[in-house]
Amino acid sequence: MSKTRPLGSPRKLLALIVAVAIVVAALLAVLSQLGGAGGGTAASGDIGKLYSGIPQNGTTLGESGAPVTIYLYEDFQCPYCGQFSREMFPDLVDDYVRDGKAKLVSEPLTFLGPDSVEASRAALAAGKQNRYWPYYSLLFENQGEENSGYVTSDFLEGLAKQTPGLDVRRWNVERKGDSLESELSEAQARARSAGVNSTPTLIFSGPGGQETIDELRDYDQISSAMDRVDGA
Amino acid sequence: MAPRIKNDEQRRTLRVTLGVLASVGLMISAYLTWTHFVGVAPVCISGSGGCETVQSSSYATIFGVPVAVLGLVGYAVLLLSVTLRGEVGVYLGFLLALIGTLFSAYLTYLEVFVIGALCQWCLASAAVMVAALVCTTSGVWRLTKEH
Repeated sequence: MSKTRPLGSPRKLLALIVAVAIVVAALLAVLSQLGGAGGGTAASGDIGKLYSGIPQNGTTLGESGAPVTIYLYEDFQCPYCGQFSREMFPDLVDDYVRDGKAKLVSEPLTFLGPDSVEASRAALAAGKQNRYWPYYSLLFENQGEENSGYVTSDFLEGLAKQTPGLDVRRWNVERKGDSLESELSEAQARARSAGVNSTPTLIFSGPGGQETIDELRDYDQISSAMDRVDGA
Repeated sequence: MAPRIKNDEQRRTLRVTLGVLASVGLMISAYLTWTHFVGVAPVCISGSGGCETVQSSSYATIFGVPVAVLGLVGYAVLLLSVTLRGEVGVYLGFLLALIGTLFSAYLTYLEVFVIGALCQWCLASAAVMVAALVCTTSGVWRLTKEH
């Protein structure tokens, strides 16, 4: 056995090692909290948690066989849509989508201006990778004043980098593709035929019939509409 | 002479086990580092996308340094500790495994309670680190007994 010079009292040395290990691990944890990407640490984490375990397919969120479908007509620049997304949407997902009672279908509208088109294209491109909904939440979490020019390419790319699981390079290619144009036109056409003329408008469709909320004031309206259309 | 031979054998077994664990950890970290820099999603056994969600979360980097790179460095030093003879190697291995286990516990907490997704590669690395801690603790315990 080759034995080197003893390093000193084992008990003191062990105490020192344990103390150093705790300090280093705590330091790494603190740096991890401070050094997340782009300052969006908490938001990205919350978004990951909100959508965890829920199927996403393009602009649809939830089980494909859910009895109720809720169509969300929104403009990414619309302040009331932002308020709905931040304040009521997480409860809607937790109460009805997570357990398969309802699925959500987003219909992005672009009536407020060209920046709405750019934001919608970015979200739809994320939808090509089934990451529409986290990007949707990030757009509303970081919403600026409408038509103030905040929807820049850097802004959209910054959100893409915070979107869990999004291949940003692929997203950037698809964002500029022509196929999104027809998706956007179809959403505008569906809004017209459904008689939607303000945002946010929520249309609930289920075994008990159809309900429209075009003046959303509180969450109770959503609960009541769900009760009426779910046919239970 | 018999107890000494037995001690040497046990010491060798511990070193080999720790060497294997550090190598496995090194491979896991190297794979996750590669996926980070190449920009591809890690292969998730269940196909749930949990690895992708965790690896693309903002917690996957610390001030621009991928956590996988920290793992790579940690496992490399752990492997180095195996090659060092005497007390220095034993204590260095214990220090690394303890830091690694505590930090892995924090990362697992993030996965479960903050990110809301589990990455099998990260969990495998955490399990390897815990096993390494058991190994190195055993080594340290034997040293203190000898003193």
